Amino acid sequence: MRLFNYGLFRLAVIAIVALAVLAPLVLVFYQSFLDAPFFQPSAKLSLDAYDFVTSDSDFWDAFANSVMLAAGMTAIAVPLGAVLAFLMVRTDLPGRALLEPLLLVPIFISAIVLAFGYVVALGPVGVFSIAAKDAFGFVPWNLYSFPSLIVIAGLMHVPHVYLYTAAALRGLGADVEEAARVIGAPPWRIALTVSLPMVTPAILFGGVLVFFLGFELFGLPLVLGDPQGLLVLSTYLYKLTNKLGVPSYQLMAVVVVAIVAITAPLVAVQRRLLKSANRYVSMRGKGVRSDLMRLGGWRWPALAIVIAWFTVTVAIPLFGIGLRSVVTSWGEGVRLSEVLTLAHYGDLWDYPNVVRGIFNTIGIGVIGGAVAVGVYTLVALVVHRWNSGWTRLVDYIVMAPRAMPGLVAGLAMLWLFLFIKPLNPLRATMISVWLAYTVVWFAYGMRLVSGTLLQVGPELEEAARVAGATTGRIQRDVTVPLVRYGILASWLLVFLIFAREYSTGIYLLAPGTEVIGSLLVSLWGTGAIDMVSALSVINVLIIGLGLAIAMRLGVRLHA
Amino acid sequence: MDFANGIRLFTRLASVGAISLGLAAVAAAQGLPEGYPANYQATIDAAKKEGKVVVYSSTDAASAGPLLKDFQAAFPGITVEYNDLNSTELYNRFISEAAANTGGGDLLWSSAMDLQVKLVTDGYGQTYVSPEIKSIPDWAHFKDQAYATTYEPVTFVYNKRLVPAGDVPKNHDDLLKLLQTKTDAYKGKVTAYDPERSGVGFLFFTQDVKHYPRAWDLNKAFGKAQLKLYTSAGAMIERVTSGEHTIGYGIFGSYALARQKKDPNLGVVLPNDYTLIATRVAFIAKSAQHPNAAKVFLDYLLSKRGQNIIANQADLYSLRSDVEGEATLKAVEKAIGDKAKPIPVSTELLDSLDQKKRLEFLKQWQAAMKGQ
Repeated sequence: MRLFNYGLFRLAVIAIVALAVLAPLVLVFYQSFLDAPFFQPSAKLSLDAYDFVTSDSDFWDAFANSVMLAAGMTAIAVPLGAVLAFLMVRTDLPGRALLEPLLLVPIFISAIVLAFGYVVALGPVGVFSIAAKDAFGFVPWNLYSFPSLIVIAGLMHVPHVYLYTAAALRGLGADVEEAARVIGAPPWRIALTVSLPMVTPAILFGGVLVFFLGFELFGLPLVLGDPQGLLVLSTYLYKLTNKLGVPSYQLMAVVVVAIVAITAPLVAVQRRLLKSANRYVSMRGKGVRSDLMRLGGWRWPALAIVIAWFTVTVAIPLFGIGLRSVVTSWGEGVRLSEVLTLAHYGDLWDYPNVVRGIFNTIGIGVIGGAVAVGVYTLVALVVHRWNSGWTRLVDYIVMAPRAMPGLVAGLAMLWLFLFIKPLNPLRATMISVWLAYTVVWFAYGMRLVSGTLLQVGPELEEAARVAGATTGRIQRDVTVPLVRYGILASWLLVFLIFAREYSTGIYLLAPGTEVIGSLLVSLWGTGAIDMVSALSVINVLIIGLGLAIAMRLGVRLHA
Repeated sequence: MDFANGIRLFTRLASVGAISLGLAAVAAAQGLPEGYPANYQATIDAAKKEGKVVVYSSTDAASAGPLLKDFQAAFPGITVEYNDLNSTELYNRFISEAAANTGGGDLLWSSAMDLQVKLVTDGYGQTYVSPEIKSIPDWAHFKDQAYATTYEPVTFVYNKRLVPAGDVPKNHDDLLKLLQTKTDAYKGKVTAYDPERSGVGFLFFTQDVKHYPRAWDLNKAFGKAQLKLYTSAGAMIERVTSGEHTIGYGIFGSYALARQKKDPNLGVVLPNDYTLIATRVAFIAKSAQHPNAAKVFLDYLLSKRGQNIIANQADLYSLRSDVEGEATLKAVEKAIGDKAKPIPVSTELLDSLDQKKRLEFLKQWQAAMKGQ
């Protein structure tokens, strides 16, 4: 009888998740088949929007660029991420404890902040570019070229591959590596021929994820592709907003459908890769201890690789944005010593909406993040070790909102809050923003939590079952207590993600619902670059603080 | 944060506290402004009863700050709930809310002149004859619903360090000649709004065609000089001051002026053959839940007091001829005489939203960008 109830509970949870997650997407799909905004009485079913988009040469350019961008960045992120994971997890690389959080930093900083930092640092008249020009007589790079965009995007997504590979490597016994070492193989050879091949599914999983993220990349191409008119699907969508003068939702919806059509099969691929999930099992009834491999002479070159990656991906753009926040002007012919100022930070306090935005950002990260993790944990528990079609379904549907660029997801959420009357009063509150964030990051949060849950060896849960505990009891008394640190870590990671999110909240922006991310976008548009840079630095500091607390608590920053 | 800022923060907190405690108690005995009908006091009283006005605006809070502060001082008891959104988001949000029949903005104030006129012609506006109507130019109001509130010249900006004095274009012909004779020197150095991605850009470039017979020659010259196109004035000005680009074409004078005050290296030119004048259009929503407060706010925007702040603190350029200062209609007329060409608030603006015409224009534009 109890079991039956639990089954019902499971289905109810899945139904609610499906509703919350699919509603925006269904709305967008429906919109794509209309000839006017869905809420206009004159709207009729029509395929005109598809005709328009597919006969627009810009669409196909953007499409091709998106494919190249996604493929290119995957090609860069996968090998680098895998090698970094090997170095961090399996070797005695110096300073690992310090490097670990740094490795994950790019995940947590707004792409738009980093992109703008790059412009100040490496743009045609950036500080480093001018220095290079003085030294060599020319600037050896062109930040706005397509290859630069691919390289930057690739480097920025290294942490995604790193995360999954590192998690898998941690679960791997050291015995096979030791065998290889005994017969005299050097570390790089062990990495390439023994350790990494054994975690191929995890690496591929990370790779598919990066490819997927390549399609919804927005901030980087928006800022770096802007001067050359380089379009990818997400920026093409942005362009459509104005192409006909009046925002044409049906056209935007068609592009979203196109993105979903490309990314949906990727989720299927990921699903197949996850089938080897039991390879990740690491927290068994019996501990497995593994010794670290000595790098010997390879230590310093290996460290140099990590530091070089970090410098290019994080240090340089952050230096750029930090510099911009303390000067009134920059560029060719400007002596920075003459334009230094702290006024931009003081000015922020003159704007109550900015002050509210800062507090709201912390609030949605800390409180909203905690509640969101609660939701993710509940759903993850519901499908935990449940071999059923429903589990597969959940896996698919939670990925769905990720296929929508944040801006569209935000607009769809606004519609839901407007047209579903009971939700109406919540619209101008932080609850609307929280719901939007929670839905958009559902897949990410679920992965974090379910990854943690999978670390609990099935034998522990089976032991409880043999002792007669119900599923609910097992989860409450065995699974959850064992993974409490994992859940705490998930909370921190979700905090960081929520604190940096920028596009989803734009349409929900109102007095009282400001968050730093959406303020950055709206200020960027009106030209208050001084404030944008200062606010960016504050955002980075909040995130830095979150990271510091995580380290202090000894939370391992990985699922 | 330095000491002065600390004080500022403190006074801010103090004043916020005072407002929330209810400044109404202070009983600001303000007389009616000159020329207002006697029953206007009733509107003010009703507005105070409503307590607040919800403004949707494309003017960022940074520029609007002084205006809101002064309105608060003039009409204690009416709070302004100020939403700054970009003009597209503003439009999207407003029509969505209207369709859902949920309260939204009472007053819409946007620089997307064409979208504002469209909303009014589509019946989203409320008729209200402002007592200030006689103090603003004829082109500045439409159907007794939409009102222009600013007088912003569309300017050229340039980087004083990097553009030699002899090259600085004084008008459109100068610019055309400069691009034709020094194409290589200015390749990739000129920037403008993208008419494909920005409504404002589209409006400006179509207006150019109306006022400048050689507009398409200029556009082709832009194409040959590899014009760099952006969607925000901020991004363009930032890149001109940094020297990444050196000349910005079609930039709101208001933003340029505000930036120039911080960075004197930015040069601003009002072209002396013709200078387009853009404006921020305000109207009261038919669905306004605080209609009286919206009226009071609109009248304040147009009033001498409000316009004085618009000119001298917000740098948005006043459109009243009786307001003094650098950013005023008067100053613009002094600089270029009758060459100022305001874009009238009228149905003519709807032309640019006609799909067929729009796509045709963009096709021609794309060809021009290839230098054809």
